[in-house]
Amino acid sequence: MGDVKCAFIVQKPQYKGETSRLAITHAIAYQTVEILLEDGDTVTPKLCFIGEGVLGLQKGQNAMDVYGITSTESHVKNCLLVDLNVLVCKEDLDKYGISEDSLPDADDMGADMKIQVVPFSEIQKVLDESQHVLFF
Amino acid sequence: MKLGVFVSDINLTVDTLDRLKADKLGLILVQNGVYHATSKVNGKSSSLLDKTPNLYVLSEDVTIRGLKDTDVDSRVKVVNYSDVVDLMFNDYDQIAWL
Amino acid sequence: MGTLTIGCFPSIVGNMGYDFALKLADAAVSKGHKVSIWFSGNATVSVKAHQKHLKDYSTAEKYLQALLAKGVEICTCEACTVARGIQKTEGIEGIQWNAMHWYLAKIHAADRVLQIGGE
Repeated sequence: MGDVKCAFIVQKPQYKGETSRLAITHAIAYQTVEILLEDGDTVTPKLCFIGEGVLGLQKGQNAMDVYGITSTESHVKNCLLVDLNVLVCKEDLDKYGISEDSLPDADDMGADMKIQVVPFSEIQKVLDESQHVLFF
Repeated sequence: MKLGVFVSDINLTVDTLDRLKADKLGLILVQNGVYHATSKVNGKSSSLLDKTPNLYVLSEDVTIRGLKDTDVDSRVKVVNYSDVVDLMFNDYDQIAWL
Repeated sequence: MGTLTIGCFPSIVGNMGYDFALKLADAAVSKGHKVSIWFSGNATVSVKAHQKHLKDYSTAEKYLQALLAKGVEICTCEACTVARGIQKTEGIEGIQWNAMHWYLAKIHAADRVLQIGGE
């Protein structure tokens, strides 16, 4: 069957509900899914933050200090470390007054991948090219 | 793409729906989403009903709320779970839950 | 016939998205489709055996057993489940326990995927 492309769309903020965090951790699981698939089969998720979902991407989160849980920031950095495509809607960053400078990177972990700030039209393309779309 | 969207709430989903583009869009109203088909707010029908001619509402979720199939806007087709499965497999390539 | 994978994240009590997921799975398998259900987040509490059905609360156990008997594959996220204090020995027989890549593998095999979020 080859590669199956999936769009993981995060549209809710973090730290009230759990769903938006689970979107990230499920996307990261693409790294190990091959142990359950036939040779040559892969799943390629693209993780997209839209709407209020972009609010969870602020750098400097301290969830571990406050609640003893891994922060969304750490999860996103792990995504970059394992070469997962992370796209963020530019219009929604602008809407909430979030600068691109305040988004996390994983340079300190040696990741090559960066968060991609894109217009919603690019996220629509991800939806169009995906076999399955998952909204969180 | 042919996108079938389950709408499960009265609010919250309209922003996302407004942005999604699909060659064919179907809205399947379930849970509190059924109120889009049965209720008017300040005398006006839900704007969701103008988004596509492919509108469905789950009968079970209408009747559980004390409403009747006759309360459903004439633009919306009343379906059951079996019909929903057929819609998912026969009419749409991608399925989303909002 | 097709293959349907359902990701179910809401809790059995407190969100009727869970009830919807089970009813949809039942309708699909009854029409001859192959169905898989992945529980994650608060949905995982529903895999604990010996649930008491009080009429003010939705219940899962008997419906899950019926779905298993019809051939529906059901798997719970092990991390989500043990985080809620439920051990594998306490689970409903026949429900699988695995990591999140189980869901992705079932997505790979699916003709249709329905992801039902938790809130």
